[in-house]
Amino acid sequence: MTKISLTRPLKIALIALAGAFVGAGLLFMYMLRFHTYLGDDPSACVNCHIMQPYYATWDHSSHKNVTTCNECHVPHENVARKYAFKGVDGMKHTAAFLSFSEPQVPAAKDPSAQVVMNNCIRCHQDLVTSMTNVGKMDFKMTENGEGKACWDCHRDVPHGGKNSLSATVNAQVPFPDSPVPEWLQKAIGHKSPHGHLHGK
Amino acid sequence: MSKKKLTKLQSWLIFGIAMAVVFALGFLASALMERRAEVASIFNNRKNPMTGIVAQNQKFQSDFPREYETWRATEKTDFRSKYMSSDIQDVLEERPNMVVLWAGYAFSWDYNSPRGHFHALEDHREILRTGSPTTLTDGSNQPGTCWTCKGPDVPRLMEEVGPAEFYKANWAKWGADVVNPIGCSDCHDSETMDLHISRPALCEAFAAMGKDVDKATHNEMRSLVCAQCHVEYYFHDYPETPEKDQYLTFPWKYGLTLEDAEKYYDEMGYADYIHALSKAPILKAQHPGYETSLQGIHGQRGVTCADCHMPYTAEGGVKYSDHQIQSPLAKMDRTCLVCHRESEETLRANVEERQEKCLEVRGRLEDLLAKAHIEAKYAWDKGATEAEMKDALQDIRKSQWRWDYAVASHGASFHAPQEMLRLMGDGIDYAGQARLKIAKVLANHGFTGEVPMPDISTKEKAQAYIGLDMKDRQEKKAKFMDEIVPQWLSLAKENGKLLDY
Repeated sequence: MTKISLTRPLKIALIALAGAFVGAGLLFMYMLRFHTYLGDDPSACVNCHIMQPYYATWDHSSHKNVTTCNECHVPHENVARKYAFKGVDGMKHTAAFLSFSEPQVPAAKDPSAQVVMNNCIRCHQDLVTSMTNVGKMDFKMTENGEGKACWDCHRDVPHGGKNSLSATVNAQVPFPDSPVPEWLQKAIGHKSPHGHLHGK
Repeated sequence: MSKKKLTKLQSWLIFGIAMAVVFALGFLASALMERRAEVASIFNNRKNPMTGIVAQNQKFQSDFPREYETWRATEKTDFRSKYMSSDIQDVLEERPNMVVLWAGYAFSWDYNSPRGHFHALEDHREILRTGSPTTLTDGSNQPGTCWTCKGPDVPRLMEEVGPAEFYKANWAKWGADVVNPIGCSDCHDSETMDLHISRPALCEAFAAMGKDVDKATHNEMRSLVCAQCHVEYYFHDYPETPEKDQYLTFPWKYGLTLEDAEKYYDEMGYADYIHALSKAPILKAQHPGYETSLQGIHGQRGVTCADCHMPYTAEGGVKYSDHQIQSPLAKMDRTCLVCHRESEETLRANVEERQEKCLEVRGRLEDLLAKAHIEAKYAWDKGATEAEMKDALQDIRKSQWRWDYAVASHGASFHAPQEMLRLMGDGIDYAGQARLKIAKVLANHGFTGEVPMPDISTKEKAQAYIGLDMKDRQEKKAKFMDEIVPQWLSLAKENGKLLDY
């Protein structure tokens, strides 16, 4: 086995490059507020301002007191499936956000609709299995015309009917603060004391 | 160069420092980007404060770039739906019966489906109906009133000379003045950008109904700015004044339905023209788009014109109204789908079904009406008297008023299909009654056969049948477009009224 020997400056440069690479990666995660996606706090969803109408309508709904976004929008069969689904969805959303390809009126895709309907049934189990039989259906059956999805009747639950990106533009939602720390803002002479453009 | 080996600690130190430097540089880059975003928000604040009527639309571009760019896009003519488009369509060519219905009126010369607001002036000058002035200020067959809806120069002129003077002048008089197409100041106060009514006719019509347009809510204003123009109107002549007033008036005194307007016109014995063939006193419906939309389910639920024709659009964190006013079918993702859960295909099919059914009935009514006019002419030729014809001609008037009201109100087959089908159903009934009465008159004069029908299968044949010399009109128009219009425009540029695009 031949040992590849590097000169000292080359070694220094390579180590620095590796450091830069990891630093840039960490910065991206920081700007993305990656840590917020590991938990269930709904404010993570308005990291991306596109979700404002959906946060605002949930925030004014009766579901606000008993659910988070994740309660309905990710699967809860087991932890692995939860994070796998969240990860795939998150990557799709990041790609759409960064490529400006979001539709004016976002709608749940089929896999997402399946998850949401399962979660309706999960919480409302007693109601939809002992009092009625609708809990025995899943979203795929409704697609084949074997019954209706929950929201075909409960049309305003929980987001108040249909929304577009511009539906609730001035609603107060917890947008993220500036990623630039306050001490740095002061150091570079930023006028606003809190230094964020959106505000809480 | 030292041959000393890097220690483990040194290696980690270099790695760590590089990492920290990149992270810190990232903070600075992020701070820089936020300052850049502030520049964008300063840009969105007004740099050019204005007051009063500002007719040159370009002056709004730097302060309202999104609204301006989308307004500018009304220049486009590339949209096609199943039955309509954003380009000119020669309606007389498609439906030669309409030439016969308008015999004796300028609409039988030339009638096109409209293009976007940006083309309002070009199309207005070019259509044969506005005539062919031979001097810079005179010689059209139309009054100044015809310019009223063509752009923000009009409220500017009305402030200068008063509405009455503006209306009664010869159309040609304002040719070098009305040079900016329908734009910002027509609907917006240039100082606050609030919606405003820039023309007197709508205010006067509200006053005639005992209402005050100033009390309209913002939501109502999102339709009322459109209702300044997209309504039924006529040119009123006050009997006490010596000259023809040509005063733009909406027949709204009794309300906004077809029957309300009919009552108003009947009471004053008004007719837009006496039909050249049948001699029926005809009411020409202009485009009662606002009135008819109020009859439909969307209007009844408080959906405004702007909700569908100027949909809200989100661009990043900015929400604005799309000023490319056009068919909502062009951008269904932000018009229909904002409220309706059905798919685009389903909703489009729903719209087309309504259009198709209205068009079917329209075709039958158009055919019957043309026959009624031709048969009435035949009865006159056989020596019918005015007393004999009176009732039949009233039926023709009623029938054609209903046909025109439904057909001229853009989008009515979608806005209020049930009302349009009712009107055209009544129209078919009145046309049938007219034809029955004419048949009796003919029988009284000894004629019981089939009235011979002319060949009106094309626009040219129909125009020849009603005795129009189209060649002469077209030549004069071409001369006007070549000689007068360029002078109007260069005059307007010299006077600073028209800027280059």
